[in-house]
Amino acid sequence: MGSPFSMNGGACVAMVGKDCVGIACDLRLGMQALTVSNNFPKIFGINDSVYLGLTGLATDVATVSDLFRFKVNMYRLREERNISPDTFANLVSTSLYERRFGPYFVSPVVAGINQTSGKPFICGFDSIGCIDFAKDFIVSGTASDQLFGMCEGLYEPDLGPDELFETLSQALLSAVDRDALSGWGAHVYIIEKDKVTKRLLKGRQD
Amino acid sequence: MEVLLGITGKDYVIIASSKAAMRGPTVLKATDNKTRNLNKNSVMAYSGESGDTVQFAELIQANVQLYSMRNGVALSPPAVSSFVRSELAKSIRSKRPYNVNLLLGGVDPKTGEPSLHWLDYLGTEAKIPYAAHGYAQYYCLSLLDKHHHPDIDLARGLTILRMCSDELKRRLPIDSKGLYVKIVSKEGIKEHVFEDEGQVLPA
Amino acid sequence: MASILPGAPQEGIGYSFSQAAPNAASEPRQHSFYPYSDNGGTSLGISGTDFTIMAADTRNVSGYSINTRYSPRLYLIGGEGPENKGARIVLSVVGFTADGSALKERLDNIVKMYKYHHGKPMSVSACAQRLSHLLYSKRFFPFYVSAILGGLDEEGKGALYSYDYVGSYEREQCRSAGAASSLIMPFLDNQVNFKNQYQPGSGTGHNLQAVVAEPLPRERVTQLVRDAFTSAVERHIEVGDGLQMMIITKDGVQEKYVELKKD
Repeated sequence: MGSPFSMNGGACVAMVGKDCVGIACDLRLGMQALTVSNNFPKIFGINDSVYLGLTGLATDVATVSDLFRFKVNMYRLREERNISPDTFANLVSTSLYERRFGPYFVSPVVAGINQTSGKPFICGFDSIGCIDFAKDFIVSGTASDQLFGMCEGLYEPDLGPDELFETLSQALLSAVDRDALSGWGAHVYIIEKDKVTKRLLKGRQD
Repeated sequence: MEVLLGITGKDYVIIASSKAAMRGPTVLKATDNKTRNLNKNSVMAYSGESGDTVQFAELIQANVQLYSMRNGVALSPPAVSSFVRSELAKSIRSKRPYNVNLLLGGVDPKTGEPSLHWLDYLGTEAKIPYAAHGYAQYYCLSLLDKHHHPDIDLARGLTILRMCSDELKRRLPIDSKGLYVKIVSKEGIKEHVFEDEGQVLPA
Repeated sequence: MASILPGAPQEGIGYSFSQAAPNAASEPRQHSFYPYSDNGGTSLGISGTDFTIMAADTRNVSGYSINTRYSPRLYLIGGEGPENKGARIVLSVVGFTADGSALKERLDNIVKMYKYHHGKPMSVSACAQRLSHLLYSKRFFPFYVSAILGGLDEEGKGALYSYDYVGSYEREQCRSAGAASSLIMPFLDNQVNFKNQYQPGSGTGHNLQAVVAEPLPRERVTQLVRDAFTSAVERHIEVGDGLQMMIITKDGVQEKYVELKKD
């Protein structure tokens, strides 16, 4: 059966721009080589300025996204405000570490803008919650090697929202085309201080 | 070689399951019904390890009905699917998980929107326009890729189902003894007599 | 009555010298010899209208240890003498260095003997097919290498051939092989063959006009090669130290060496 992380396939990437961040994922859901669905998004809205990307075992992607929807709703009810991306990152970390010896097989990515400081924020995690804070980009999923190569080659700091969208999209599309377990279209979110643009990319359908 | 098939159309969902109950290469029964009606507007078809399937199906059926009794409203198909998924996700990390794969078809009683959910024993869930479990995936999904369209009428849906059934007869080494077919529409669940049209031979 | 003490003389047929009782500490030990190792490294080749660029890093590793920071992975094939003077074919081999140099030695011999017998240098296409045969001749004890062969074809155009370790081969525009190939290859698809790139304003959906790939100028290709490697060095521990480049044109092979990060 192989590793639980590569049973269903999928890819996710986040990038920082100038006063904006972007996060993108592919849409494939498979069982090993068989594609079951070509409309399985892996990015979940936490609130208007925080997004969570989850790759890995599809059942855990659903479980973990539901878990955070619940936790973030409880936070909003208690605090009467939206959770900031950095606080949410710590919530993700501690929640995953609770399952230290029986982890969820997911590699999460968080992207957002801190509404109080206006600062862009991205970070990634391993399956037991170790945070990877990055200034530039975060990748995850079965196409992570390809994404590292693409991002390292295409990324430059301080891109505007439109340039960031182009860079992010090109990085994701070219990366998933070299991975048999990812692809079949993509979702790209560009998050600015008071605007979020979600785009659907068709991509190669094979 | 249990077969589960699901096809959505304009305002309906077809759920089909093979009639053969098998144990290894032996066919024990030719009238095995692998479907359960969960409420007036959703059907579940199941396959997997023999003891687990019926146990799990009845657990789900009872709980969906209990919910309706307690709250006075029927669960919508996506809500049922979400509930079933969470049960499977809980089960997979338990001491002895249920080994059951499911298709869940339903039509929203208010909007009339058809929906079909594919679930496996891990708790993987996907809402898709057409679905299959078991070997049927390898033989039928390509056919459905070619012929399916979101707003096909019932007659067309049944024609496509016939094409799938023919392909299975043509390619599978063991006969699945025909299909039980249920059609869910806004009016409710209707059993459809899917006549066996005899042998289909490969070219 | 059998003794309960381990190592005590046994009853019945026995030897005069003591025999250790079979216990967990003296179970049969199996020794094995694995004839391969992986020395890491990455190579890259891009062909243009009248040139081919071959490049490879020079780090040689085994596991987490660095054996040397300068072991060339690019070899001149053919030409005159041990210096391969006037050679027009370049072979790059990554994977197991010992197999790589053995393979290079065989191919070099063949190409040199060809010139000795026929009085003319071997064409790249012929050399490419011969290399395939060389690799396949060891089908059941293969050379553990990914090879890329570069040169100029009979029309003077850049020619590039890539191989798997048993000799399947194909002529391509560009190819990366080795440890960081999964990082570099999609970058090349995007920047050399313009995959996923469309003409701005050409519409949406099926109206989109793809950017057509045309051979790139030398300066552009050299820059892409260096970018590809500096990127790979950042994210792959088996890649680094130095970048060896060979540019094959009708005037000969020009060799360049650029430092890469050594961490």
